[in-house]
Amino acid sequence: MKIVVCLKQVPDMESKFKIIDDKKIDESQIAFKINDFDNYAVEAALQLKEKLGGEVIIVSAGPARAQKDIRQAFAMGADWGIQIDDPAIEAGDNFVVATSLQQAIASIGDVDMVLTGVQAEDDQSSVTGVMIAHLMNTPHVTNVVKLEVNGKDLTANRELAGGKNEVIGLSLPAVLAIQSGINEPRYPTLPGIMKAKKKRLDVKKAADFGAAASAKTEFIKMFVPVSEHKAEIIQGDAKTAAAALVGKLKNEAKVL
Amino acid sequence: MAKILVIAEHFNGKLEESTLELCKAAKSLASALGAEPAAAVFSKDDAMAKETAKYIPTVFSVTDAGLENYSPDGYTQAAKAVVESQDVKGVLIAHSYYGVDFAAKLAMVLDAGIVSNCNKIAVDGGQVIFTRNTYNGKIQENKKVKTDKFVATFEKGAFDMEAAGGAGAVTAVSAAIGDIRTKVKEIVETMAGAVDISQAKVIVAGGRGVKDGDKYKDIIVPLAKKLNGEYAASRPVVDSGWTEAARQVGQSGKSVTPDLYIAAGISGAIQHVAGMKGAKCIVAINKDPEAPIFNIATYGIVGDLFEVIPAMMENL
Repeated sequence: MKIVVCLKQVPDMESKFKIIDDKKIDESQIAFKINDFDNYAVEAALQLKEKLGGEVIIVSAGPARAQKDIRQAFAMGADWGIQIDDPAIEAGDNFVVATSLQQAIASIGDVDMVLTGVQAEDDQSSVTGVMIAHLMNTPHVTNVVKLEVNGKDLTANRELAGGKNEVIGLSLPAVLAIQSGINEPRYPTLPGIMKAKKKRLDVKKAADFGAAASAKTEFIKMFVPVSEHKAEIIQGDAKTAAAALVGKLKNEAKVL
Repeated sequence: MAKILVIAEHFNGKLEESTLELCKAAKSLASALGAEPAAAVFSKDDAMAKETAKYIPTVFSVTDAGLENYSPDGYTQAAKAVVESQDVKGVLIAHSYYGVDFAAKLAMVLDAGIVSNCNKIAVDGGQVIFTRNTYNGKIQENKKVKTDKFVATFEKGAFDMEAAGGAGAVTAVSAAIGDIRTKVKEIVETMAGAVDISQAKVIVAGGRGVKDGDKYKDIIVPLAKKLNGEYAASRPVVDSGWTEAARQVGQSGKSVTPDLYIAAGISGAIQHVAGMKGAKCIVAINKDPEAPIFNIATYGIVGDLFEVIPAMMENL
């Protein structure tokens, strides 16, 4: 079984976000990490490989700093990877990125399954996996919370609202967007980290795989949302604030 | 006249609230663009199309045995047939479990730009400008499409719900529903017989900031018990196994409306907020002053929950 995991490096969402010229994030204040949802996708791929054999290949579009997290996935157990390090792709929209990822996946050949996270924590679009599936002309399932493979047959549970799951049958090859909580992602071991350093990582430009797509959407600007409502912030050290809060809950809000 | 088309979402013979929100959005957007609001409904018969016509003047109904269950292939083929039979300027879809499963595919088929997970829409010089959350809601962005048509998905609650009362016209659109590659075998309930937190008057919820399962048990659970309430959690806590799934609040968990909801170490991602914003009084305890949870809380303490909650216990 040949499994590709699309991985994105994203900012730690607890970082301090500062916007430069209404256009981009000031990266000097940002710590980067693997997109949380992709971490579950890596683990899902590794579990399938352990059961069925084969290889797990990481495909990622991102600048040089993304190598740290591609190698993190190598340390977890992924076999090798492709990094599309191309400013033109990074500047593109979801469609441009999805097209480039799909072209890189096509270059690998005979891929049985492509796993993505349900969304990237930074962009929150939830479209890339579905676009890749369409470009590959394969079926897809999003929000996957359970996965069973039996030869070329796949059974995937798709999460629905209110604790319901849709149990879906489909055939490989397929693209699955993995939801958080499907498994418990492993931590890299020390030998894993040592091995990861030597694993093959092909650093490529988009043009190495095909003609880049043109963006179908245009970014205008970014801004810090101004909320019409702000909580009444209770000041003071923990003890003072806690006492004041309990007082307000009893006497002002009258909910205790 | 050009149309702004809502793709209706229905489950078990009931229209989703998000569809009523999109009917409202389609009406205001259509009026700003000099277009006409309409909806498309896909099902095995036209019962849901008739229901949708109470909320929007024009409804296109595609009926086929292959549309009895939702599937991305079936919905994309049906939507394509409606869009191609009409002059459609834009397609509005809920950013729901169903919407995210087919919206991007439809955009690809229509060769249209997609802007997903939007919360606002505006028209500026005839152009549609979308606003959407990024970076866990800490930053928003404006986007537009470069294509003639657009596809956009919207967060739940982005618009008020349209009220019933109209008597729209239902027009059948024929579509050849071909191969459907994903087959729904069954729909299962994963939380049958589990605890029900939805009736609790007081809920104390912990998030990622609680750090681990032992701390969740030592900090969140005792405060909930002291207040005669239920303990609950945001998604990362349940994903990490610190408490059971039935205690998860949010889009993928329970919707709750207690008198008091204490959110500790919860950043306030839209998916969580969707399940608790109806609480009468919301308390947010978080060390990040920029956490979006403070935008919906009644009271906030910017601080360490491991100091604040024990101090609250002493005062109760």
